[in-house]
Amino acid sequence: MDDWLIAIIKVVCIWVWVLLIAVVMTWVERRGAALIQDRPGPNRAGPWGLFQPLADGIKLFTKEEIIPTKAQKFLYIMGPLLFSLPAFSAYAVVPFGDKIILGGKEIILQVSDVNIGFLYILAIGSMGVYGVILGGWGSTNKYSVLGGLRSTAQMVSYEVPLGLALLAIVFVYGTFSLRDISLAQQGTFLGFLPNWGIFKQPLGFILFIVAAYAEANRVPFDLPEAESEIVSGYHTEYGSMRLGLYLFGEYVNLVTISGIIVALYFGSWHMPYIDLGAYLGPISWGVVSFCIFFLKVSFFLWLFVWVRWTLPRFRYDQIMGLGWRGLIPLALFNIFITALFIQLTV
Amino acid sequence: MAKPVVKKEYTLSERIYLWEILKGMKLTWGHFWFNFKACWRPGPHTIPTCWQYPEDRTREISPIFRGEHMLQRDEKGRETCIACGMCAKICPAKCITIKKAKRKEGDEEKYAAKTYAASFEVDLLRCIFCGFCEDACPKNALVLGQEYEFARYTKEECILDKRKLLMNYRKAKEDGKLKPPRKRVPVVPAPPKPEKAEKAEGAEGKKAKVAGAKGKKKPVVKKKAAEKAESTEKKEAAEKEG
Repeated sequence: MDDWLIAIIKVVCIWVWVLLIAVVMTWVERRGAALIQDRPGPNRAGPWGLFQPLADGIKLFTKEEIIPTKAQKFLYIMGPLLFSLPAFSAYAVVPFGDKIILGGKEIILQVSDVNIGFLYILAIGSMGVYGVILGGWGSTNKYSVLGGLRSTAQMVSYEVPLGLALLAIVFVYGTFSLRDISLAQQGTFLGFLPNWGIFKQPLGFILFIVAAYAEANRVPFDLPEAESEIVSGYHTEYGSMRLGLYLFGEYVNLVTISGIIVALYFGSWHMPYIDLGAYLGPISWGVVSFCIFFLKVSFFLWLFVWVRWTLPRFRYDQIMGLGWRGLIPLALFNIFITALFIQLTV
Repeated sequence: MAKPVVKKEYTLSERIYLWEILKGMKLTWGHFWFNFKACWRPGPHTIPTCWQYPEDRTREISPIFRGEHMLQRDEKGRETCIACGMCAKICPAKCITIKKAKRKEGDEEKYAAKTYAASFEVDLLRCIFCGFCEDACPKNALVLGQEYEFARYTKEECILDKRKLLMNYRKAKEDGKLKPPRKRVPVVPAPPKPEKAEKAEGAEGKKAKVAGAKGKKKPVVKKKAAEKAESTEKKEAAEKEG
């Protein structure tokens, strides 16, 4: 009974937390974009414009819901749901801290520590494409269909290097569980480097982050919603909260991806060189590990914004070329090198 | 000359693209950090390229900005407008209406010239702020000032009558925002080519006659204008000599 309660509390807490981050991210994105472009950005609602997402939310909620006459109703309604549900559920296997001991009970700060964490992430990640393609197809709009098709092609292509980069990580750590990998990143590597995934898999990290940007449909790979080419892609015909779900799902995806990057390549909740867990009590260490983890996550969230307002969009054939001719051979090479290294050292 | 396009082979590091991305990110970070620091400055004007308008009115306006109209007075406080109607005539939007009146005896302290505008209305809703009227004004009486906030609630308020125009002048004078006097357009004396000049004059005379057939007013105006031009030329010549 207690286990159930704890699980439910964890689910609700992390869900609310991720939603909160996604909400704040909409503000960070707009303010960051503005500052990079030498303007102040939304600064009217509340202190520093922090209530802007709230105003946006109220606007999206209270807007009239319109279903285009020629749209295929069922698909049109299913689109945003199928996009946002996987986005919300993908965080289940990503850790958000070490563990906390409450009343003699050890609670790991992760919704569920399944031993197939990677496969779950890959599976759920590719579910999101259904929402995009269904929304694009159901709108009966040429731009929406184009956006959906582009998104599908891109996601299918970039899933391969993503999976291969993850496979190399599995070679190194010998487990599929994200918690075990996080735990294995404590201490130092070669005597002076923190024992983080990025130092063991530098090429794998680059491959992973590029593929992850493409999976999240972010600039420079935001072809599915390229404003200057196809209006706004798969969500051209959407309005009110359905559009809100799409946009929201995108930001939740960003949080998840940043969480995965931190958990796999940036030492999760570990500080470099210092093992804080040895000095702090069980409860305070839980809180501190949570804070460290989300500090790292927030850096990667900011990186998404930063890159978005730095780079121009790729051309479509360039994206496909990069995916198939650049990333996949590199990913295979990375796997080969990793396997060779492990075979020789172990 | 257009620049010749030089097609450049990319080096390996440029083709890998990652290093170039980092360079670009350094640039955007520079902008971000500069503006982020600027955000913490006191006052409404923080980011140098942005004026937070209703709070921040520190933006400099050009001295020759064309804002709300005003009717100027001379040094003795007399109205300078002579109600010649040049501004109303040249106005492309036809937003100026003037009623002319002759100065009565005893009004010499009020009006500078023998005629004055009994009523002078500018319809701000029609005005396009081209500034032709102030260019046309022979006495430099009608001027477009620096005031740019003239959104009003009713149509009637948007019609500037003479009282409001003079008020605008007073306000501008108190704020020290009077327009600098216009630069005179230098009139270059025509080179001495007597035969051709005569021919041209003849042609002009013909045109004037044709125009005269249509309406009697036009040639009179032209003559007056020509006389004025001549007089100004003479004056300038005299000034130069002096």
